[in-house]
Amino acid sequence: MYAFDIERPTSLADAKALLAGEAQALGGGQTLIPTLKQRLADPGTLVCLSGIAEMKGVTSGPDGVAIGGGTTHAEAAEGLKDAIPGLAYLASRIGDPAVRNRGTIGGSLANDDPSACWPAGALGLGATIVTDAREIAADDFFQGMFTTALEDGEIVTAVRFPVPEASAYSKMIQPASRFPLVAAFVARFPDGVRVAITGASEDGVFRWREAEGALSADFSPEVVTGQPEGPMIADLHGTADYRRHLCAVMTRRAVRAALDGTGGLSSAGA
Amino acid sequence: MQAFGSGRSRRRREDPRLLTGGGRFVDDAAPAGALHAAFLRSPVAHARIAALDVRACRAMPGVALALTAQDVRAAGFDGAIGAARIATATGPGAAPRRPWLAEDRVRFVGEAVAMVLAETLQQAHDAIEAIELETEDLPVSMLNAPGGPAIHDEASGNLAFDWSIGDPDATKAAFAAAAHVVEAEIAQPRIMAASLEPRGAIAEWNGGALRLDYNGQGVWGVQRKLAAAFRLQPEMVRVTTPDVGGGFGMKAFTYPEHYALALGARLAGRPARWMSGRGEAMLSDNGARALVSRAAMAFDADHRLMAYRVETDSDLGAYNGENAQFIQSELFAKVLTGVYDVPAAHLRVRGVYTNAAPVDAYRGAGRPEAQYVLERTMGLAARRLGVDPADLRRRNFIRRFPHRTPTGETYDVGDFPRVLDGALAASGGFEARRAAAEARGLRLGRGLAFYIESILGDPVEGARVVFEEGGTVALHVGTQSNGQGHETAYAGFLADHLALPDGAIRIVQGDSALIPKGGGTGGSRSMTAQGTATLAAARAVIEGFEAFLAELEGAETAFDGERFRTAGSNRAPDMLEAAAMARAAGREDLLDLWREGRLPARSFPNGCHVAEVEIDPETGLTRVSRYDVIDDFGNMVNPMLVEGQVHGGVAQGIGQAIGEFAAHDGDGQLLTASFMDYAMPRAHDVPPISFGTRPTPCPANPLGIKGCGEAGTVGALAAMANAVTDALAPWGIETLQMPFTPQRVWNAIQGAGRAAAG
Ligand SMILES: Cc1cc2nc3c(=O)[nH]c(=O)nc-3n(C[C@H](O)[C@H](O)[C@H](O)COP(=O)(O)OP(=O)(O)OC[C@H]3O[C@@H](n4cnc5c(N)ncnc54)[C@H](O)[C@@H]3O)c2cc1C
Repeated sequence: MYAFDIERPTSLADAKALLAGEAQALGGGQTLIPTLKQRLADPGTLVCLSGIAEMKGVTSGPDGVAIGGGTTHAEAAEGLKDAIPGLAYLASRIGDPAVRNRGTIGGSLANDDPSACWPAGALGLGATIVTDAREIAADDFFQGMFTTALEDGEIVTAVRFPVPEASAYSKMIQPASRFPLVAAFVARFPDGVRVAITGASEDGVFRWREAEGALSADFSPEVVTGQPEGPMIADLHGTADYRRHLCAVMTRRAVRAALDGTGGLSSAGA
Repeated sequence: MQAFGSGRSRRRREDPRLLTGGGRFVDDAAPAGALHAAFLRSPVAHARIAALDVRACRAMPGVALALTAQDVRAAGFDGAIGAARIATATGPGAAPRRPWLAEDRVRFVGEAVAMVLAETLQQAHDAIEAIELETEDLPVSMLNAPGGPAIHDEASGNLAFDWSIGDPDATKAAFAAAAHVVEAEIAQPRIMAASLEPRGAIAEWNGGALRLDYNGQGVWGVQRKLAAAFRLQPEMVRVTTPDVGGGFGMKAFTYPEHYALALGARLAGRPARWMSGRGEAMLSDNGARALVSRAAMAFDADHRLMAYRVETDSDLGAYNGENAQFIQSELFAKVLTGVYDVPAAHLRVRGVYTNAAPVDAYRGAGRPEAQYVLERTMGLAARRLGVDPADLRRRNFIRRFPHRTPTGETYDVGDFPRVLDGALAASGGFEARRAAAEARGLRLGRGLAFYIESILGDPVEGARVVFEEGGTVALHVGTQSNGQGHETAYAGFLADHLALPDGAIRIVQGDSALIPKGGGTGGSRSMTAQGTATLAAARAVIEGFEAFLAELEGAETAFDGERFRTAGSNRAPDMLEAAAMARAAGREDLLDLWREGRLPARSFPNGCHVAEVEIDPETGLTRVSRYDVIDDFGNMVNPMLVEGQVHGGVAQGIGQAIGEFAAHDGDGQLLTASFMDYAMPRAHDVPPISFGTRPTPCPANPLGIKGCGEAGTVGALAAMANAVTDALAPWGIETLQMPFTPQRVWNAIQGAGRAAAG
């Protein structure tokens, strides 16, 4: 770790001012701190967002659910239980308790790891990402591995989710990191079905349109037959073929879980 | 008091301290003002060092010292770590030089090249970045077979040794006459110990005397090695060990960092501390396993084993680990033929250097590897011969003891059929579970493995019992707990033998200044060796007090297990009262005793593991759904601790079977250099493990115990592999290699499907 200074603002306005320079936002630190420890980044100043009350919490309203950008995965899992069980399940299966009690939804979306969970939830539900400057539709937000529509210093202050008729998340874990090797989030709305896949594509989280079309016509696992195209991630834990295959398997299982109302399932156990 | 049967379970008394932050580990023990060490490590697997310039580094803020191989020589030291060499028919194994700090060449990614001592850790790391290292690549050899690009001038074709044991002619003849021959190639990937607490040390000089406080598995061997390295009398070196967070054999040896740190502290004139980072540990700790074996079994028409043959290539990494040449050779050979009556056997092992971290002992050291090869081959044989795996084993069990094996070991005692019966009973009901799994779209497989292991290490151990003022009793031991619960086991043991309250006993370990020698911990030796020594010391205490009291009372005095009773006297002092009387009488000699115990022979723990795995054919995911163990550990001192050792050992075996794999690319770069890629087992990977025993007390020590520390791992590997191959039987998959990751299992199923279709 290189030496750095840390600022702890208590308001969004202060955080914004502090981030105007060379400083970097610190959410739960579950991605950033390991990076710093390996001396892979040298930010000079970190602006810690965890003391900003206005960026925390889950609120349900007639238009859906809003989650503060500084809300931890654990808090989100708890707050989403009744409103969107599929998304609550997703949050409850991120990493381990230590990660969930510190890591935040804002940090996860800003980081846009190609194997992260929240991007699948946000894209699968067609969420709106709210920043200190504007609102961005999930369909426009994710722009490839570790790449988002965010400008330097822009802060994810909240995420708004519409409430689906049914949704579920199915996660095959990478055995070491327990991030998704491949995971699928499936959501059924009155006007159609959305399917978002994480962990698989070299372009990061994506919507699997063919599956969406088939499921919109008939929301049952059997209609998910083909496999998505495009370049797939290949690494120690899974070849491209294996990942492509898992896209379909995870999607089918998510549909089944959505039909059963269980919220989801994970290869890491209940 | 029950001296010679099994003892009673006592809860681990060290746990409240360790679990509430009361442990004192290396990083807690450093004196204020100690300099922080950091190492520059080789970024490449094989290269000539063209330039190494530490001038800018020395000028960095806070830097007290930068040390390179050149500085080691300038200080007048040879600067290399030795290793034990195996004796082969053509002479001893190769002994390439292993420098503390790389000299003209680097041979694996992570090899220490230079060390910096600075006021803060931050400054030490900053200063490391200021070192200029220029390297010229040499061809990298990651091939675990002789003949790759040369790594050492001293080892042509990278061959460290070519060793064999057994009777090649008799084996050959038996194979020629066999009714059935079963052959298999069985690989065991390179893995890491990944102890919870990485390696670390503190070095400090006082006048000409060195003190090294380090987290290892014993202090006396390290004391000798440091004394030799720095040309000191052993008494000028004191080695101590604070609490240790896991060792598993990986911490049983010295490493370059220990010597560099000691020299650095001397040259800087200040104490120096080092704690490895996790990534650093993954690169520089001794690795484990890393071998590939070709095994063959010869059976007669009645399915009796006629002969067994194994040829192994053992990847040693870039240098000899201190004990590495013995692991896949002599230690493997100790249990080569397992629990079977095999008339002829032969083992040939070639040790091979590769451009990766050295490989040395890891929980079981040679015995899990041997039992894995044997029991997988046995499982395959049962399948090929179309017989029940339990029946094939039963048919071939050794039934008369003592039994001399084809590799010269003498098994003292055992009752394998009874253990097998126990395991089959414990694991009953499989077919119903299989049917239930099928209904859920999963394939259930069951794997049986019968293992035997041999206790290793120094057969001699010492124990010192000190009655302290204030009514406490210190038991000084020569072994070293790395988390096993020795404090509980030893205190309970002494309490039983001297009728003392547990709480009055203090266990003292890990200080070369307090007792003259000790064998450390390794090879499952601690309870057998330390228990025997402690028993000798306890007896000496009792005899001393009996004689003293008899003299005082003028009549025969005897300890009845609770109190000292003298005929015709009302006084019946207990142990602490007797000690107080001895102290009052000035008999200090009775209050501080050291005794040695020697194990006359080895003991051979054995047992049967039955693993059940559930495979999801659609994803390849393997889940361990059930695990049953029946062991013969002889008598047990603390059955609860024993069971805990079995649980931990099985968990480590499951980890190796389903996920652990230290992968390198062709350039020798470690691909699994963090827990993001190196798959440690998690709690959810391990099902509840049922444990039972069918003891046959060991005649080779007065306690009748056999040792249990490594047994869980020894049995688990083959049980797991046999379960996985059983589950995959419908696809005709016979010898899928570990680790059984989802990707690998799915690939195998796909391949089999394609083969069937094609
Ligand atoms: C062991 C382990 C297992 C994990 N498993 C999973 C898993 O299964 N699934 C999964 O999805 N993730 C997993 N993670 C990652 C975890 O969810 C992280 O918490 C998350 O990716 C980043 O969130 P954070 O709040 O910790 O962000 P930080 O680490 O603090 O920051 C990450 C990046 O986001 C920026 N940032 C942070 N907050 C904001 C904000 N509000 N607005 C704009 N930019 C911001 C930072 O500047 C930085 O660039 C795991 C992590 C670990 C250590």
